[in-house]
Amino acid sequence: MEASPMQIRDWLKEVYDPELGVNIVDLGLVYEARQEPDRIYVQMTLTTPGCPLHDTIIGSVKWVLAEKSGQSNIEVDMVWEPQWKPSMMSEEAKQVLGYF
Amino acid sequence: MSRLPFYFIVTGMVGFVLYQAASLLTLTGWIGEELRGPSGWFHIHLFVLGWATMLAMGAVYQLIPVVVQTIVYSERLGYFHYIIFTTGLAGLLYGFIASQINWIAIGASAAFVGILSFGWNMYMTLRRAARWNAITISAACSIVYLVLTGLSGMLMGINFATAWWIDGHDNLFGAHIWMGTIGWFGLLITGFSYKMLPMFYLAHNYSTKPQTIILLLWNAAVIVGAATFLADGSTWLIWFALLILTAAAAVYNVHLLRIRRSRHKRHPGSGIQWSVYCSIAFGSLLAVWLAVSVYSPDMLLHEDAIRIAGWLYLSGWVSFTILSYASKIIPFLWWTYRYGKQAGKPGTPLMADMLSDKHVHVSLSAMAAGILLVTIGMLFGSQWMIELAGTALSAGSLVYISLAALVFTR
Repeated sequence: MEASPMQIRDWLKEVYDPELGVNIVDLGLVYEARQEPDRIYVQMTLTTPGCPLHDTIIGSVKWVLAEKSGQSNIEVDMVWEPQWKPSMMSEEAKQVLGYF
Repeated sequence: MSRLPFYFIVTGMVGFVLYQAASLLTLTGWIGEELRGPSGWFHIHLFVLGWATMLAMGAVYQLIPVVVQTIVYSERLGYFHYIIFTTGLAGLLYGFIASQINWIAIGASAAFVGILSFGWNMYMTLRRAARWNAITISAACSIVYLVLTGLSGMLMGINFATAWWIDGHDNLFGAHIWMGTIGWFGLLITGFSYKMLPMFYLAHNYSTKPQTIILLLWNAAVIVGAATFLADGSTWLIWFALLILTAAAAVYNVHLLRIRRSRHKRHPGSGIQWSVYCSIAFGSLLAVWLAVSVYSPDMLLHEDAIRIAGWLYLSGWVSFTILSYASKIIPFLWWTYRYGKQAGKPGTPLMADMLSDKHVHVSLSAMAAGILLVTIGMLFGSQWMIELAGTALSAGSLVYISLAALVFTR
């Protein structure tokens, strides 16, 4: 069965930024997520270019989506435009970080 | 993940333990003795090379590829660097403590070959940088000064053996210390702060223009100071170099506070907070030093003044900042190694679970108090105070580094 973008985002809530302790969806890092006939496509960013967790987070996204969807072809497209802004965070994320 | 940073960082931690143990054995009394002798050289080189430089090199291997978004030019050369530098340093330290000139010469040469290979590896890695910024330029400049520090150290060694420039020995000595402390450590710490602080404060929308100003001023201070020492210039020129450095530190502190003001994470961790407090204290003390010495710049080169300034700079700013950052660097390194492939899987800990922030805060507070009390002891020439506070500082430092080492069991 084809997963909806909402479903994929729900799955991605299991991927945490290990330093911030907030999942990547609530951090506003996931720009686009969709299932295509032969793959799952995720377009995302990080809070800063040159983040030391770059490879770790991509690996986690691939692992979680493969586990949940059964699909082995996962493409993670890391982009830097538009640049991530703190305003992209959900209210829950802002609360966890003490955002003010 | 490369294990190279791990080897340097763990060896640096071992160097720190050995330094503290050696200080405990003398009740930190070595600080009050003649520093330009075998005992002083041993303690200082163990601290500067065995601890601070070793850990800093590990941090460079960890952070530069991330910043440049590439891999290290040659892992194999990195391992060669590790082996030759560590072996050379061990020989050098033995040479100092046993007063064996041959060991000093061979050890220093090997350590210098290690520094050269590090410099070449980083030059080739940084060449791949798609875009240069204040972080990469600061790191590149700091490594150039490290190489020049090693070179001047080697020339001093040759001078000992051959007396080819005996009149200029003190000139080389001054330039060696200035380039190593202000150049290598100063530019590396400031450069890495531009990455570390915004990352842990989750800071956005702050101007990075001050970074260019700091870079220019800091380099000018290093060059003016080193050239003055080499050319046997007036102490007023040393004072002028200090003035430029004070201006650089002032802009640096304003920049750190602006990053802090632009934060979107309330608590970045105690290590990061302490690194900011420490920088403010460093900048303030530098300004006081500058103001006091304006009446008599000659006092800048007085042995007691150098002793206190060296202690405050190396223990109070360089080492304390490295220790503060280590509270983030070590958990980060171990977490990525141990759990990097398990991220997203249930039960995987967060980085914050690796090292108690409360323990970090208490330990760093105790160490800050210890450094301050040793300084007071030095100011008043109180040997008992230096010994008492120094012993407490070493014991506290060993507790802190043990807590950091326990991360590797998580």
